[in-house]
Amino acid sequence: MFRQLLRTATPLAHRQAAIATKRTSIVPQSLMRYYSASGLTKDDVTTRIVDVIKAYDKSLAAKPISLESTYNKDLGLDSLDTVELIVAIEEEFEIEIPDKVADELKNVGETVDYIVSNPDAN
Amino acid sequence: MVRKLSGLQREVVHLYRSCIRMAHTKPIENRPHFIKYIHSEFGKYKDIPRKDFTTIEHLLRIGSKKLQEFSKNEVKDIR
Amino acid sequence: MMYKSLVGLVTKRGLASGVEHTARMKSFKIYRWNPDTPSVKPVLQNYQVDLNDCGPMVLDALIKIKNEQDGTLTFRRSCREGICGSCAMNIGGSNTLACLCKIDQDNTKDLKIYPLPHMYVVKDLVPDLTNFYKQYKSIQPYLQRKSFPEDGKEVLQSIEDRKKLDGLYECILCACCSTSCPSYWWNQEEYLGPAVLMQAYRWLIDSRDQASHIRKEMLENSMSLYRCHTIMNCTKTCPKGLNPGKAIAEIKKSLAFE
Repeated sequence: MFRQLLRTATPLAHRQAAIATKRTSIVPQSLMRYYSASGLTKDDVTTRIVDVIKAYDKSLAAKPISLESTYNKDLGLDSLDTVELIVAIEEEFEIEIPDKVADELKNVGETVDYIVSNPDAN
Repeated sequence: MVRKLSGLQREVVHLYRSCIRMAHTKPIENRPHFIKYIHSEFGKYKDIPRKDFTTIEHLLRIGSKKLQEFSKNEVKDIR
Repeated sequence: MMYKSLVGLVTKRGLASGVEHTARMKSFKIYRWNPDTPSVKPVLQNYQVDLNDCGPMVLDALIKIKNEQDGTLTFRRSCREGICGSCAMNIGGSNTLACLCKIDQDNTKDLKIYPLPHMYVVKDLVPDLTNFYKQYKSIQPYLQRKSFPEDGKEVLQSIEDRKKLDGLYECILCACCSTSCPSYWWNQEEYLGPAVLMQAYRWLIDSRDQASHIRKEMLENSMSLYRCHTIMNCTKTCPKGLNPGKAIAEIKKSLAFE
């Protein structure tokens, strides 16, 4: 278990790429399906998160990623990879997710829901 | 489903998160150096048995001390 | 005549350290732990030292072992005369300074040496004193006054007032007392411990200091001071013969009669 928890180094140069993908375009309000605390649409958040994931781990680029994809089982990330990924997502949305919440984010859908509900996300 | 992390494992994850966040406060061109260092430091001990509490606790203590040191603003790069 | 006797003396001495006596080996069992292999459990390592070829103090034996047998043995030392407080450790079951502790000359008995108890170990006999120093800093161990003499000279004190500091100022902060205190073992994070409290008292009763109100206020809680239950291990173990237990009692008294 601990072996799974910790792991060897992987180069992280692609982090910069994740930052570079930050979008500035704002979806016209008429296209929004609903208003959220963050003012972001669920679809927008989802695509941005998927982009971050693909930028984080190049081997996932070809994999289909859905809201149900779990970080551990489906994407093959260990707990420390997941931490790094969540930090990358935090950067993308310019927020800091508290430890308690971040510990519980197990799949893409939960992460999307949290971002959408966070009023500081942008 | 993944086994729920123990309290100690959670602490390791929290330390790791703080380390990664620390790396993100450093000049962008040096961040990969910090990340590489964090990976190698955590990687060194990846085979420690989950039940070896005293060792893990010791490493957590040393780790947070190092983190405190490297978090200082004057620290810009690591090799 | 004079010359002859001198020669005789020299030869005798030469013999004394050379042929005349046999070795008196004593075993020292020393706690070893290496942070580079953190999962390897600590062990007691046995070293044999010839007491006939070693200084009288435990520190002499430690230095001899490090020089001649095992360079990896790690311990703090500096002044070798009980004024720096570096070589505080647990020797034969009690906390003391290795440089002030005579080796028991009975070589049928082992001597066990451990680091100061209930402290995190940095390596072998070296304890981590970070928290201890942090606590010392927290009592603001320096003279605090609203004003200083205009002539830029020292703040004067009567002979009687100066006398009050005797038995307090001699403390070298070796941490022997604090780490012998069960209350300190269990509440290290919050209880200040005897060494630091004695210094708190030293500043409280200094006639030149004007911050005693704030100093007392800092101690007015259930943890900082009142975890002392007058066990008196501190006074028993102090290698400088000081009495931290009494100093703590004096603080309690002065707070009670506020």
